[in-house]
Amino acid sequence: MTATAVSSGERRRYWLSVAALAIVLPAAIAVNSWNSLEEWRSRHVRTPLAVERGAIQHYAGAQWQLSGLTRLSESPGNTILIVAEFEAAVDDPELLQKGPCQVILVDDRGRRWQPTFLPPRVVRQARPAAADKPRCGALLKAEKGKTTTMAETFTIPDGATDLALSVTIAGARPEYLLFK
Amino acid sequence: MFRGFVAVAFGAAVLYGLQRTTPGYGEITSPIPVAGKPGQRVDATAFTIGIAKVHLVRAVTTKNVGRAGTFTTSGVWVLVEGAAEAKSESLTLMSAEWLGPNGIRYALSQRFSTVSGMLPAQRLEPGLPKPVLMAFEIPESQVSGGTLLVARSAWTPLEEQARIEMTGIKPDDIRPAAVLARGQGAVPWILSVE
Repeated sequence: MTATAVSSGERRRYWLSVAALAIVLPAAIAVNSWNSLEEWRSRHVRTPLAVERGAIQHYAGAQWQLSGLTRLSESPGNTILIVAEFEAAVDDPELLQKGPCQVILVDDRGRRWQPTFLPPRVVRQARPAAADKPRCGALLKAEKGKTTTMAETFTIPDGATDLALSVTIAGARPEYLLFK
Repeated sequence: MFRGFVAVAFGAAVLYGLQRTTPGYGEITSPIPVAGKPGQRVDATAFTIGIAKVHLVRAVTTKNVGRAGTFTTSGVWVLVEGAAEAKSESLTLMSAEWLGPNGIRYALSQRFSTVSGMLPAQRLEPGLPKPVLMAFEIPESQVSGGTLLVARSAWTPLEEQARIEMTGIKPDDIRPAAVLARGQGAVPWILSVE
């Protein structure tokens, strides 16, 4: 190989290009993964709105209140049923109906229980009023100025303590309600 | 000249090696195995599962569970009884497969899907272990050396998968028939092998 004389201008451009890579490469990665990052953020970054028992909280175009968290014991072993009854006085049905709602029961160890699909027979016997209430999917038919009462049932072990009810409306993310 | 030729040949060999050893998308996103043995608690991050009993039978008769009748097979029924529990979040284990010694995977039989307690029908809750039942229909040659694969879903990339090596199961243990009936207590089925 023979060494050729390189002009100082050419050398400068070469080093400028190499330096530009340090900025352009991360920028290209960021641009390409932007949508995935947004999706990840909307799923994982969450801001709780803590609500004390009985208090009313504005969230996702409605005034929310937890009206009851009832413990019922079921026959087999150490299983407990929790019936959560809550209501939403609707101001802005559009925001509520933007996406599905998700109700989850959380304990102090961070365990998360999803509601049962149908209220078990025990609930129908002990709290027939709650068993007849719709689940939170009823908000899709909410009307302005009306109050929707809802109930969800959870099957949890006896030892779970410090239960809190989390309600997420897709249109109001990343905020979610947390009834203590 | 000769050095240039060596460099090109070396480069070609390296590129060929890279091409042959590049893992495919399926391999990059394949399930993350969590190994275990029957009778042991297999601990994944999202769930735990334990296999208590495995029965090999030629025919299964159902009583008071869905459609009554006798279910025969040209191969062998593998009935697996165990227990599973969610760890931090309610979930359902939708996928169970029997991996035969020659690498063929057999999905859960759909013929007992109405029997309560079948694995994909049990919603598992944190803190509440639940009995689970699995049924596979496999050729006799796939019985010994099989592995049970259990996961939340068969399709999600990088899903955890319990891989339970079914040691000590051999075609000599095949019984003629079993009766599957509805259970009354905590276990929603009763399985008696003749």
